[in-house]
Amino acid sequence: MAAPRVKPPSATSPWAWLRVTYAVLALTVFAFPGGMVDWLDERNASGWLSAPLALARGIDAASAAVGVKEVGQWLRGQFAAAVGDADT
Amino acid sequence: MLFPTIDFGLFFAFSFILVWGLNPYNTVKKYVLLALSLAFYASWNWRFLLLLLASGAISYVVGLYVDVAAQRPFRRLALGVGVALDLAILAYFKYLDFFIAQALNLAHTLGFDLPLGFVNVTLPVAISFLTFHAISYVVDVYRGRLPASRSPLDIVLYVSFFPHLVAGPIVRAHEFLPQLASPRRAGDFSFGENMLLILGGLFKKMVIANYLAVRFVDPVFTDPSQFSRFDLIMAVYAYAIQIYADFSAYTDIAIGVAALLGYRFPQNFNQPYRALGIGDFWRRWHMTLSNWLRDYLYIPLGGNRHGALATTRNLMLTMLLGGLWHGANWTFLIWGAMHGSALVLDHAWRRSAAFARWGEGPVVRVVDWALTFNFVCLTWLFFRAPSLDAVGQFVAGVWTDNGAVSTMPIVVLPLIACGALTQIAPSRARAAIGVVLDNRGAFASAAFGFVLLYAIVVMAPSAAAPFIYFQF
Repeated sequence: MAAPRVKPPSATSPWAWLRVTYAVLALTVFAFPGGMVDWLDERNASGWLSAPLALARGIDAASAAVGVKEVGQWLRGQFAAAVGDADT
Repeated sequence: MLFPTIDFGLFFAFSFILVWGLNPYNTVKKYVLLALSLAFYASWNWRFLLLLLASGAISYVVGLYVDVAAQRPFRRLALGVGVALDLAILAYFKYLDFFIAQALNLAHTLGFDLPLGFVNVTLPVAISFLTFHAISYVVDVYRGRLPASRSPLDIVLYVSFFPHLVAGPIVRAHEFLPQLASPRRAGDFSFGENMLLILGGLFKKMVIANYLAVRFVDPVFTDPSQFSRFDLIMAVYAYAIQIYADFSAYTDIAIGVAALLGYRFPQNFNQPYRALGIGDFWRRWHMTLSNWLRDYLYIPLGGNRHGALATTRNLMLTMLLGGLWHGANWTFLIWGAMHGSALVLDHAWRRSAAFARWGEGPVVRVVDWALTFNFVCLTWLFFRAPSLDAVGQFVAGVWTDNGAVSTMPIVVLPLIACGALTQIAPSRARAAIGVVLDNRGAFASAAFGFVLLYAIVVMAPSAAAPFIYFQF
């Protein structure tokens, strides 16, 4: 009889879950930084989000500098055009 | 704060580390979970926090009374008072204006005026689901299915736990309360499977449901007279896919989020458009509501224990109230009546000699599926239309061709095909891929999760429709 497979620590440790989840969210923010910048900007009327907004703008600039932001925007535009949704 | 938003993404990222960080200190963790749930609810309207706390308090006190009352009449009285209070809150916020309108209409028809005015009260978010959870707890205590909790914290957390708070799934007290007793173990869950569940939910909502709603279904139902007969018919099928993608997405994300926090929720959908018969449909669609209605309404009414006539009455009553639960509108009542009638016929057919002889044959099964699917789609017309007049306008548009040319966007067909694919994909595929991801390690999971989320963001339209079940 085969021994039951033991899951690796990455599957059973909540800290590994956290790392994976945060990595996915951080990469997505880096790939599409505009959403986070807009979100923070809308809520920064009194200036209390200035620090995270500056960070988000930094990420936006870094993403644009390496071309990741443009690739995401271009793909979104291409997909929207392909499905006839270019106006939205 | 809806699930597929930056607000919720940040809220969850914060909650995630906090909850697991406090996992060894279970009581502290429960207080924090309660605070997070109240903050989640307050993001819509903080004024209704009192309602949430009152519902928990009623359940806690009534549960204790039901548990300690030694004699059956006192237990029944305590239960009756508790359920009546829960239903009174629901009736006040959700149905009072509807019944006042019906009374005024009736009085006007009979030629006199009633001194009644509308209360015009704001409908609190999640009021229906809150009521279901509260009733589930006190009835389960009454039936001896679980002892009354001595912890008010556990009860308030049970009714307000943020993953299920707004649109379910309806988690029964005996399923949830034992999970609060001790720290959770991450090893009891598959991270890969639950990540896929959340990402699949995001795809169903952000891509399938939003495109169908914004590009096709909403415009057609707003003004059916502007669309061709073909468009009207396709809009009903598109809505069938939209509502499935929308609602199952919400509960998939809720189940996945709860699992990542260490709590297990029941399944809510099981490929409902594969159903063979309306009875089968209700065993696959919004399963936690079907089970709730069966256990707390249909069976107490007598179920199928007292002959065909009583069974018919009980099925009709259950489905009429199930329809009314969705909203104070005649369209929902007719939707419930249609499903109730179909359940009665389905019940009779499955007990007939003809079914015993031919029911399992391939031809009958295909006919069974086609009839069930198209009937369910027809009932969605009543569910989606804002009024009976709108239903009439829609049906008139199908009946009399206005000569309009079809303007259905080309994207609708692949989206319907995607929706159909969710109904025929092997149900164990997600679990199998989840196991593979778990075994491949963190890097593979992160890469896979990022690629899927990237694709979803690329495909998602800029405009979004609200969750359909959010309003119930």
